[in-house]
Amino acid sequence: MDAQSATAIFAAKGIDITPNKDQGVIKVVKRPGLNGNQPMIGDRVTVHYTGKLLTGKKFDCSRDRKEPFCFNLGKGQVLKAWDISVLSMQEGEVCTLLCKPEYAYGSSGSPNKIPRNSLIVFEMELLKFEGEKLTDDGGIIRRIKVKGEGYTNPNDGATVKVHLEGSCAGRLFDCRDVTFVVGEAEDKGIPLGVDRAMDKMQRGECCVLYLQPKYGFGTEGKSEYKVGPDKDLVYEVSLKEFQSAKESWEMDLIEKLDLAVGVKHKGNQYFKAGRIFQAVIQYQRIVSWLEMECGTGMDQQKKIQDIIVTAHLNLALCFLRMKEFSQVVENCNKVIEIEEHNEKALYRRGEARLHRNEFSLALVDFQLVLQFNPSNRAARAQISICQRKMKEHHEQDKKTYANMFQKFAERDAKTGKPKRRRNESTRSIKNGEVGIKRRRSSQDCPSFQ
Amino acid sequence: MNEDQVNDMIQTWRDTPEKDLTPDDFQWFKNLGCACVTGGDCAQLLKCIQDEKNQEIVKSMGCVLLEPLINGIVKKEKGLYHCQAAITYLTQTCRADELLQSLLGLIEDIHPGAISETIMRQLSRLPVPYTQQQEEADEFGLCRCYSALAEFTKSIVEEMKRKDGDCDTAEDEELRTELLKFCLRSLRDPLLEAELNRDRKSSLWLFAMEIMVTLPVIQVSLSELLFFNSPKKSPLADNSQLNEARACLAYLLFVQRINIDSFPAVYSPVFILRCNVEYISQLLSSKKESHLLKGLALFTKSLQSVQDNALPVSLLELKSFYSAIQNLRQLLTECPLQHLRTSGLQVLQLFINKLDPEAKHKFFRCMLKTGNHAGVESYVVKNIKNQVEVSMEPGNHNKWFLGEEFLSLLGLVLCFPQGAETDLLHSMDRIMESLNLLRFLLIKDKVLWSQTDVWEELVRIKDEYLKMLRVCISMSRAYYSAELKALREDLKLKVKEARESARSSTLVKRITVKHQDVSNMSPEVKHQVLQSALVTFDLMESLIFRIEEIAEEKRKIPN
Repeated sequence: MDAQSATAIFAAKGIDITPNKDQGVIKVVKRPGLNGNQPMIGDRVTVHYTGKLLTGKKFDCSRDRKEPFCFNLGKGQVLKAWDISVLSMQEGEVCTLLCKPEYAYGSSGSPNKIPRNSLIVFEMELLKFEGEKLTDDGGIIRRIKVKGEGYTNPNDGATVKVHLEGSCAGRLFDCRDVTFVVGEAEDKGIPLGVDRAMDKMQRGECCVLYLQPKYGFGTEGKSEYKVGPDKDLVYEVSLKEFQSAKESWEMDLIEKLDLAVGVKHKGNQYFKAGRIFQAVIQYQRIVSWLEMECGTGMDQQKKIQDIIVTAHLNLALCFLRMKEFSQVVENCNKVIEIEEHNEKALYRRGEARLHRNEFSLALVDFQLVLQFNPSNRAARAQISICQRKMKEHHEQDKKTYANMFQKFAERDAKTGKPKRRRNESTRSIKNGEVGIKRRRSSQDCPSFQ
Repeated sequence: MNEDQVNDMIQTWRDTPEKDLTPDDFQWFKNLGCACVTGGDCAQLLKCIQDEKNQEIVKSMGCVLLEPLINGIVKKEKGLYHCQAAITYLTQTCRADELLQSLLGLIEDIHPGAISETIMRQLSRLPVPYTQQQEEADEFGLCRCYSALAEFTKSIVEEMKRKDGDCDTAEDEELRTELLKFCLRSLRDPLLEAELNRDRKSSLWLFAMEIMVTLPVIQVSLSELLFFNSPKKSPLADNSQLNEARACLAYLLFVQRINIDSFPAVYSPVFILRCNVEYISQLLSSKKESHLLKGLALFTKSLQSVQDNALPVSLLELKSFYSAIQNLRQLLTECPLQHLRTSGLQVLQLFINKLDPEAKHKFFRCMLKTGNHAGVESYVVKNIKNQVEVSMEPGNHNKWFLGEEFLSLLGLVLCFPQGAETDLLHSMDRIMESLNLLRFLLIKDKVLWSQTDVWEELVRIKDEYLKMLRVCISMSRAYYSAELKALREDLKLKVKEARESARSSTLVKRITVKHQDVSNMSPEVKHQVLQSALVTFDLMESLIFRIEEIAEEKRKIPN
């Protein structure tokens, strides 16, 4: 098809889908959608496409790569023509687009591929779309109804003014205008999911959040809203305006130290109320503010260290509750770096290691606790637990890896060792001490994804 | 076994053709080796295998000695030196495939991660060749190593290709992970350091190509890795290391355009720029020339695809943009390499051209406030003048470079932060550009400054500025004239002294006390500098005079 006939077809059958009707993007539907479902802004959409110049020359095709193309709709990640057109498509639809350069590659073109000021033809198929995952575990999914603007988002500590409409199983239970501080939404009866979504929202945005119970009202439910335990929630949130909190680099040390005390108290409050996630947020703020600071003079340095140690210890305790044991160890390590003999840090690290079946390491930690505080009965009890578990568990695997080179010498006598042996050892890396030697090397290379 | 028995055995082996050697023979030879190593007789063993008469034996059975020799080294037995010499000899004498098999057998149970890490670590100890001549000389053999490594990885990659990317078993997954880590490590070191140019197909370039080809085979999506990868999922231990690897990858893809044809062409240029700015910032923060060159090239390429006047002001608020610009500014003011500063300046101008009017306004404000460097500031002022000129053209009218908004910017330009103590020579560039701007504004038709109070404000700013400038000039002139006079006196004194000491034969020298020299320039050069300083002040004064003239004319013209 040559340039003239192509333009003619578009002129005859196409519709202008640009918001201001400037003929910038003309669409012709080749095959209508399956069910009328249309994607929303922010959705993660999957398409197949072919891009051609008006001359018919193909410059890009996802089918050639045998891989559909994914992107977040309406976020400026792709050419303007795409953000406009895919928004107008339905699931399963196939269409062709004629795009003016302003909506495609502009006056720069693309070196070696696309001349300046080129009209471009795209053939698009919308395969599927899904809401945007705001967290890795998919517990908060967002679909945007009205796009906001600006490149900054509310940070932790920012004051936000929103309009909320919360519903559960189709029943509206909460509808109000409310102002709250990001990280402290709990105080206004707003669940964690909405709080965490704030730092992804733009000013003026209106979106729908789909929350799993973990990010909603959890196993408790919320009686004043008549919401039972373990319920999925849906919140429509409009971010009207916000006032950012100062970033760490914008504050001076004295300011940070002053604020840190209040933040710690807030964290403690949340912890006592059983709001562990919220407590973690507060304590992490302290760490992010102060971890790089040194202070002038011994007094200030001590002050900084004290509050950082407290923050890390509290975080360790929170993560123990949340069963995030590697985070426990990380935080305890930070404390021990500063205070070698910190009893609480050693104890909590021991607990975490015990839960991860790293018995000998846990034992060492508890023994150290006893060394520094012989009257610590809890540590004594833990030590006997470790010892018992160590006996129960298979120790021979540990011996297998104890002396790798010894093994070679022993292998001299045997011939034709089957290769399968290595697979066995790989597979036996689940629990037990064997994890340690092996894991040390695999700590450098955890599995991809 | 005593020596006689050993000698007998060796004699028997000498006489036996290779195809008649039995597995027992191999085993005995190996035991002999073990015994020597553990007994501390490595020198003996070395002598034996180097013996001319034993060459056939060594060729056929030498490989079995590798294991005991290597064990000997690992266990640090006595005679380390001889063990190593023996191993070297064996690698030169024995057959390559047998050698390889023996070596592979030894490392079979070691985790592949440890192996690749060791290889990379050893290689990273070699210095990376920096210029073309260095590469060709390849003094340390790095290039040859990487050529070999490239070949080696090819076969592993072929294996993965055959499976068509199906990673069913844990082993496949492990292989894939290791290959990915290998690629990322290689990108960081040596590729980030090396000069990579597609016109010159050096061995490191070919190695880079190999890496770029490997990534899609192990099903790594480049756009995922560059644009969307969350730092939590990093297969490399260190986040900043991962970033360096990705920076190199971005450079190879976008600047050298390796495999760009299989990269989706539909990403918006502004989005690509936003993603690359993080890598650009990282590269520009380095002090290494190879990193800086790549950073500047990546910045240039990313900016070129963006439309002029397209970048919005909200982008400047992004931390990554802010730090990239600050790093660029630091390069312009502190980097000792002239060619980098020149390139940096070009990138700065390109960046400015791509900003929309509001963003330009904000950017200029930011640079004037944080500039702290007369050269950078004068460059900004020149740009401001250009923008005003452009804004005056019909159709380009915008509020950021005309009218009230502009005046706030002008106030930042026409000011003396150090007041009367301003070092005029130091700030000369900036002041001259500022005076040019002022003159330009006044020459243009007053009608453009449509509101009277805007004009009044402009005149007020001008008056204050010129007043302060006059004070500075008179002070500076006084100072530099005094300096010049002192210098001339000094020279006269020196000449007089020289004449006197030539006349008298005594070695008594008169010590002349001079006031402190500010710099250690030679007197002639210093004289020149001072003279030109005074000339500059004259120039400034004449400009001031002209400006006042123009302002007077404007005032007289009726509205």
